[in-house]
Amino acid sequence: MDLSPFEANNSFSCRLASQIPDVCRTEDCCLGVDEAGRGPVLGPMVYGICFCPVSKKEELKDLKVADSKTLTEAEREDLFQKLDEAKSYVGWALQILSPNTISTSMLQRTKYNLNALSHDTAIGLIQYALDSGVQLKEVYVDTVGPADKYEDKLSQRFPGIKVTVRPKADSLFPIVSAASICAKVARDRVVKGWNFAEDLGDVDTEYGSGYPNDPKTKTWLLKYLDPVFGYPQFVRFSWSTAQTLMDSKAVTVHWEDDDEDGEKAAQRKNNRSMLSYFSASTEGNDHNATHQTHRFFTERRLKSLDAL
Amino acid sequence: MSCNTSVTHLNVSSVDKAQQTPVHLMPCEIEHNGPAKVSQYFAATMKDHKHETTVSFRGRGLKGQELSCPQGYTGLVLKEVNKPGSDQEDRTVKVSSVFNKLTYWNLETPPNSDDTVVMAMDWPELAEAIHGPVEE
Amino acid sequence: MAAKKKRAPNVQNDSWVVIAADSAIHTQKHDRDADFVKLRNPSTDAACLYMLGCGDAQLYEVKAFEEDFHSWFVGQTVQRDGRLVFVTPMDPLFLILPYFIKSGKEAKFQPVDQVVTDEEFPACSRLLSCTRSLASLQHIAEEKEAGSTKFHRYSEEKTMNWLKKKVERTVVALKRRNISVGEGVKSTTYVRVKSEPDSHEEDYLRYAHGLISEYISADLSRALLKHLELPELLSPKETEPPSKKRKLSDNPVEAGEDYTKFNSADFVRKPPKKMTAAQKTLAKVDKTGMKPMSSFFSPKVKAEKN
Repeated sequence: MDLSPFEANNSFSCRLASQIPDVCRTEDCCLGVDEAGRGPVLGPMVYGICFCPVSKKEELKDLKVADSKTLTEAEREDLFQKLDEAKSYVGWALQILSPNTISTSMLQRTKYNLNALSHDTAIGLIQYALDSGVQLKEVYVDTVGPADKYEDKLSQRFPGIKVTVRPKADSLFPIVSAASICAKVARDRVVKGWNFAEDLGDVDTEYGSGYPNDPKTKTWLLKYLDPVFGYPQFVRFSWSTAQTLMDSKAVTVHWEDDDEDGEKAAQRKNNRSMLSYFSASTEGNDHNATHQTHRFFTERRLKSLDAL
Repeated sequence: MSCNTSVTHLNVSSVDKAQQTPVHLMPCEIEHNGPAKVSQYFAATMKDHKHETTVSFRGRGLKGQELSCPQGYTGLVLKEVNKPGSDQEDRTVKVSSVFNKLTYWNLETPPNSDDTVVMAMDWPELAEAIHGPVEE
Repeated sequence: MAAKKKRAPNVQNDSWVVIAADSAIHTQKHDRDADFVKLRNPSTDAACLYMLGCGDAQLYEVKAFEEDFHSWFVGQTVQRDGRLVFVTPMDPLFLILPYFIKSGKEAKFQPVDQVVTDEEFPACSRLLSCTRSLASLQHIAEEKEAGSTKFHRYSEEKTMNWLKKKVERTVVALKRRNISVGEGVKSTTYVRVKSEPDSHEEDYLRYAHGLISEYISADLSRALLKHLELPELLSPKETEPPSKKRKLSDNPVEAGEDYTKFNSADFVRKPPKKMTAAQKTLAKVDKTGMKPMSSFFSPKVKAEKN
């Protein structure tokens, strides 16, 4: 697994993939989808797919892949090794959603929530397999939420493919376990060797699991809080853990789309620019009620000053 | 009400010692005046990507554009020297740094020529027309 | 997410980001000093900030680009005040003119230093030190010489001709810079028409007249309009009852009324609707890995990927 394309620029999302086994282009295949790193406040979320011919399901079972969460990191690395050795009939692909992508998407003006992001990413990966010529017949998807609607959505999106969405699919279907292992191995490696784009010198890598309730993670978040910038891009700013710490320990930042002051300000701004066409400017230095500032200036937000 | 007789003295010769400095116009109000690790957190993470300059600040995606100072103009950062206690007193400012270009950042929207700060750069040329000497 | 904090006032502002004409700082003159001074704004009659540079030889206008929710990074610092201050050369005659008009009523020839005085704005006498001031008085006043002393008297005719030339210069610059001078209409798709082929000469003249009017009294502005042979237009303000105006300034724009004529970028750029409390709750739940049913098919906008 070569992570260098992501590590070269971990501000953005990145897709990594194995070679497509020839047999997957000629035989009916099954495909599993799982994710790793949904909960942590640190690092990327990784979506993984794994696929193999339906006829090879038993062989995959013999590799003894199991739910990645029940395995140790070493066991997962070991199983990924075995999957790699089975590359003549097992293929995989990953979409690494950088923490910066997660932050900027979730905090976007038009909010893009994690479910939508997850679904779109899963769909993108399945489509990638199809585009690569994989003869998909069965798709198995792990979900942490209600499965039925997600299953309907995917079935409609991919007609002719039997879609099965199940909670804990990674412990029910070996191909999902395999996808889970690929995703988890990638996330572990990326987090361990996180290449900070910020110029922070030697960064303490004792960040623990990255889950908000891990004391090591908490300590790290306190240590690396910058009063102006908040955090490096390694941290998901959209997590309430990060927001709460910044609210109490960093300087306040106001955006025009902030919940409270933004809307009012936008209204005020609209009023001002409209009124400026036909009424006295509301600015302090225009005492003369008959004076209207020319729109050349109001359109350019230029105004006279009465003091520096 | 501030006093109409007080003046703010600009120490022009301070410009000779002023260093070029990068300036960024941010699309948010930061309730802070003072030091910040701009080069470490901000400049280091700016990316030129698909013909766009992007960065993020506090988890918000920004898109930026460099703007040159208009021809015949120089960017100055003025700093007050010894702020007086009352507005009756004269004040003094000096040039603490200079710049020839600035980078402005939009919140999520791609920069374009309709951005107000870009339009504001029309002003010096128009001012020259309005205030330049008329022919006899 | 925690509730947003109210904005605290910026009390400790002590720095400014400025774009200044090179003449203000790169002068070879012995006396390089400059002062920001308050003078009477000829259009509003109120105190306004200007700068006298090169040892009072040149007057500068001070205008600030100011929009809500902006701050600066300057080197390794934050400057909360997000204004960008423009310091541009200004014709001192615009500030001298009101004093001449005032004294013109007495219809006497007077020494200029007796004309340009103002108890409220003592710095106004420094305007006479500007290189251009005395040399250009002939544009607004008749001149008589007695011995070594010059005497002046306001001339409306000269002033009108001078202002007309100003308007003409401004028209040239507006065209050169492709400034949109149409009736303030911007297309609703938020594409500003840069160079409108149907912008008539009259639009340019009116626009330039409007700009020059920023520097003269309302009376003079009307006289100039006549001099330019432009018919006076009823401004919307005059057609609007005052009570209505008050109401507008206190309330958001009502959808039922057609203000498209006054469209500006802000209308189109208005941020999308905020999340409701329920949506916020959903967003929170997302983070912990639960998928609320309702979020499955909620409308979404694709984030930029790769």
